Amino acid sequence: MITGLGGTGLIADDLYLMAHHETSGKPFLQPRPLGIGLAGALLAELMLDGHVIVGPDSTVAAGPAVPGDDLTRQVRNQIAGEPEQHLLLQWLLFLGQSAAVGVGRRLERAGYLIPAGRRVRWRAPRWVPADPDWAFAPLLRARPATDPARPLTAHAAILAGLATGCGLQFRLDQYLPAAGRSIEEAVSLLTPDLQQLDGSVQAAVAGAVLAHRT
Amino acid sequence: MSRTQATGSRPGSMSRALARDRLGVPAVLFFVLAGVAPLTVAAGVIPTAYATTGLTGIPAAFLVVAVILAIWASGYVAMTRHIRNAGAFYAFISAGLGRVAGVAAALVALLAYSFLQVGLYGAFGPNAAAEASAHLGLHAAWWAWALGAWAVVTVLGLGRVDITGRVLGVLLCAEIAVTAAETAGGLVHPYGGHLSFATLSPGALTSAGPGTIGVLAVVAVLGFVGFEQAPVLAEEARNSRRTVPVATYVALGLIAVLYAGVSWAMAARTGNGHVVAAAGAQGPGLLFGLGGGGVLSQAAQWLFLTSLFAAALAFHNSVWRYIFALGRENVLPAALGRTGGNNIPKAASLVQSGTGLAVIAGYALAHADPMTSLFFDLGTTGGFGILVLLAVTSVAVIAFFARDWHGENVWRRLVAPALAAVLLGVIVVLAVLHYATLLGVPSGSPAAWALPASYAAVAVAGLGWGLVLKSRRPQVYATIGLGAHAATGQRAPLGPGMLP
Repeated sequence: MITGLGGTGLIADDLYLMAHHETSGKPFLQPRPLGIGLAGALLAELMLDGHVIVGPDSTVAAGPAVPGDDLTRQVRNQIAGEPEQHLLLQWLLFLGQSAAVGVGRRLERAGYLIPAGRRVRWRAPRWVPADPDWAFAPLLRARPATDPARPLTAHAAILAGLATGCGLQFRLDQYLPAAGRSIEEAVSLLTPDLQQLDGSVQAAVAGAVLAHRT
Repeated sequence: MSRTQATGSRPGSMSRALARDRLGVPAVLFFVLAGVAPLTVAAGVIPTAYATTGLTGIPAAFLVVAVILAIWASGYVAMTRHIRNAGAFYAFISAGLGRVAGVAAALVALLAYSFLQVGLYGAFGPNAAAEASAHLGLHAAWWAWALGAWAVVTVLGLGRVDITGRVLGVLLCAEIAVTAAETAGGLVHPYGGHLSFATLSPGALTSAGPGTIGVLAVVAVLGFVGFEQAPVLAEEARNSRRTVPVATYVALGLIAVLYAGVSWAMAARTGNGHVVAAAGAQGPGLLFGLGGGGVLSQAAQWLFLTSLFAAALAFHNSVWRYIFALGRENVLPAALGRTGGNNIPKAASLVQSGTGLAVIAGYALAHADPMTSLFFDLGTTGGFGILVLLAVTSVAVIAFFARDWHGENVWRRLVAPALAAVLLGVIVVLAVLHYATLLGVPSGSPAAWALPASYAAVAVAGLGWGLVLKSRRPQVYATIGLGAHAATGQRAPLGPGMLP
């Protein structure tokens, strides 16, 4: 079990913590945009390790190796198990239906979240952060995206990009100082498939807002 | 790398799960009708139109315009299947006539929907003031009540959009019931004991001269504004090939029957030769008295207020959707395309709220009559703007399919949009020539040329801005018309549920 300010090292875990208040656990986003963002983060984890491949035509295919993490292995196997290939946007909408609960459970197992209130079978589980500083730390891990003085990692760039895409720009503006690089510039340094993922998350969330289905 | 193969076997779990989350015809129809606000037209627009224009062919106009819009919708819904951001006129015009024209159309649409939205405060204010004075003993100027409605719309516009959708839905059901009941009440007690069909006949459209059909058509189009919103949910629909067209045509039919019926009932009850004078004397009371007064009449009066409010909220949503989509594309400042906490498009919503506040203040300071100057003049000018967009969209549909038929038949890609373009174009020209009649002002009055000319001004500004984007910001230019999908740059919808 990994605990502490260093985080789990997983993009979806960091995005989840960033999207919820560090003490109350209350979400800053509506359910659908949160789900889409977390779905994008899970796919990003798989893409970074080559477990999932996104083609130039946006089709998603499973890679040969199977990840060790239970949640991402489940996602990879779902992709592999479909009788036909689907598009990135469709996977975001599908995985987004359950991503928040899946990532929440993963964070609970890792010790970053604790259950809030009594578990009721027909209601989605709720959590509160185990430690407010651990919950706040992902915002700091995204800092290299906007600060050229810090070494930029793919994790920081895609985390900042997905956070912006699902509607957390206001959090980043609050805690990430403008230091010479925009998040768009950081994302543009990612590989084309990750840039496509970032764009698709933005499109899916904006589409949900325009269709009044958040 | 393992690859799954398209075997033509039954859909996997992902496809089934996505299908369950998609919307059927009832949900899309509900979304369309919730923004129509029937009593706003029945009690607000129709009596004011009778009084202001002096024309009695309004019932016939609703039926004729419904037929024209049904023809227009053939090409419109067909093109919906092949473009992104299908809920916006400018997306069609961008795809068909080019992105420079698309920017011009976007600004025209923004102005039209803004006129429609802010005009509603001009009806809410005086009617709320009258009800409050009569029933609550509260006496305040019309603009105080208008500002109250504005404040609530502003707050709801900054709230969760799905909550505002539920509010609109409940009000819709009550309004349709009351309008139908008042209509029935008017028809069973016709003037002189004899039910006249004269106002429904085509002859009524030109009884004051052939040009007046343009005036009547603008009034009728005003009643239908909102039916074109079904494609907003095209990418959420279970079967876009069926869901969007069915919802569009059912909405058209329901609106046509409702408004043709109630306007006919008004003329039939008061007498064809007296309806204009009666409308001038009674205003919205022309509807409230159809059923003979009592509980129905009082319910109609209260629901009229909620209908005006609901329409103001619905058009507020239409305007921020445009602003938000244009902000996503960077045609308007990018900050307008962002959401704040809870994914609320706060900036886009507040822009429209600012416009509403400025207009209410302006009309209050000018001591202008809110019902005729603000509600009817701006409302009908908004309807005129929509008429222009409908006509241009028809031309865009023809141009789009001329480059690639996309498997659509000749009726949808050519004949229907051509017919609609000609008919709507003639109506636009006639409306411009008789704009003074539409507003009930003397020929040569500044309002009669300034209001329609405002569209020409914003269109020219839009063309100029489009050319600037083309030369100076080609990446932004390339994504004009894509709305939410500006981030991916993908022009054509892809995947099951979005293609035939």
